[in-house]
Amino acid sequence: MPLLEINNLVVRYGEIEALRGVSIAVEPGQVVTLLGANGAGKSTTLRAISGLAKPTSGDILFDGRSIAGLGPEAIVRLGISHVPEGRRVFPGLTVKENIMLGASNRKASASQISREADAMFDLFPDIRAFSDTLGWTLSGGQLQMVAVARGLMAKPRLLLLDEPSLGLAPVIVQAVFRIISQIRKDTTVLLVEQNARMGLSVADHGFVLETGRIVLGGKPDELWGNEAIAAAYLGGHAKVHA
Amino acid sequence: MDLILQLLFTGIGIGAVYALVALGFVLIFRATNVVNFAQGEFSMVAAYLMVVFAVDLGWPYWLSFLIALAGMALLGVIFNLGVYYPLRHRTYLPVIIATIGASILLANSVLAIYGPQPQVLQGWFETPGIQLGPVYLDSQYLLIIGVTILLVFFNFWFFEKTLLGKKLQATSQDKEMASLLGISVSTMIMITFIYSAVLGGLAGILVAPVLFVSIQMGSTIALKAFAATIIGGFGDVAGAIIGGLALGVIETFGAAYISVPYKDGFAFLVLVAFLIFRPQGIFGERVAEKA
Repeated sequence: MPLLEINNLVVRYGEIEALRGVSIAVEPGQVVTLLGANGAGKSTTLRAISGLAKPTSGDILFDGRSIAGLGPEAIVRLGISHVPEGRRVFPGLTVKENIMLGASNRKASASQISREADAMFDLFPDIRAFSDTLGWTLSGGQLQMVAVARGLMAKPRLLLLDEPSLGLAPVIVQAVFRIISQIRKDTTVLLVEQNARMGLSVADHGFVLETGRIVLGGKPDELWGNEAIAAAYLGGHAKVHA
Repeated sequence: MDLILQLLFTGIGIGAVYALVALGFVLIFRATNVVNFAQGEFSMVAAYLMVVFAVDLGWPYWLSFLIALAGMALLGVIFNLGVYYPLRHRTYLPVIIATIGASILLANSVLAIYGPQPQVLQGWFETPGIQLGPVYLDSQYLLIIGVTILLVFFNFWFFEKTLLGKKLQATSQDKEMASLLGISVSTMIMITFIYSAVLGGLAGILVAPVLFVSIQMGSTIALKAFAATIIGGFGDVAGAIIGGLALGVIETFGAAYISVPYKDGFAFLVLVAFLIFRPQGIFGERVAEKA
């Protein structure tokens, strides 16, 4: 049974139909990447899964159970952690405090959470030195590390990552994706990316969204292999990659 | 010199009351992005609750005090559910208007019950005060200053050292992100309203023996406290406390050396001066950086 199954999901913002019947499945242990241009509906899909956007119709099943219509606080308690677009690190809290708050979806003592946050720095050694630094002073790459670390503190069974590479220097993007490939050992990941090359490099399965619809899905090499599609949606460097 | 020390003591005492109410303003503003114009009425209602229990019913002062504070916590819950919660997804304007409506409702409800004549509430202590060298320390002002110092420390500990305090801060900085982490945003805002109502109530109970207990006391204190938050830097906790104390001292000195009838005027003169020359307030830059 898939860990996450989305059936014919429609999301409207007023007059605008952001998703027009999206169906995807994420098997346990997979990294699944959702590709597509700006405004294709990638972020809306993640927002619908985590409860920030209310589905107009269709269903979202997590572990076989419908979560469509539940609020974000309830959904993160079920084990879906959403690292949203723009990192959204709390600017007036320190890095450690931000990370600790990632555990707000489960019962644990403050000292236990503090120990877990310290352990999180083993996975993110680059931000260890900034433990007591306020969020607003960090660089984009550091913010992304904090946001992912905070997302992992929820001990999610499914991690939703929205554009982790956005606005980062190439060397930082590579560091972020190294972390994603480490995370996947324990956690299922649904990744949204504009950067098709990086997004598919860690994926078991990919989907391409276009104006609110899934137009293509398959294993990364199948996607790269489809030349017309690769040229249109994946940046046209299929042959170089292959 | 003796007079200056005496005025300083009195000014800090009354300033501490403004600081407590200003703190309530700031906490609600940070959690909901809305100025609660009924914050002063919290002080007034609490003072009248003391009149009900300690004066009319003749119950022990400490018991009346606890009941009044519990009543304020309950008022915070009702206020949140009745005034803020139904409008939480709207812009700030309907919420602000609702708080103005609530303040009118609270003031006139009390007026309907107690009438316009001011009530008198005794201070906590039997002893009126102590002479310390040249300065006479009024016992009620000592209590006000002592409680305010304790609350400032409590506030710091609560918001900076506890996980709940961090969750409240996170909620005030980014509600959507807080909810994604599993922080119950509506619970956090409920806690903020309860805490602010109790703070405002505490200020009202403490200042009641110094002033008269009247319908107008709420709006008078709230105006000063609001001025204090602007002087301190709107939205800044330390600014609210420093601004409140500064305002209390300024108006006390102004009354003593310039003119007693214009006592309230000095507070607003300082406010206008700040709005012209330093609109961001004393700690303004810090607020801007956090935003």
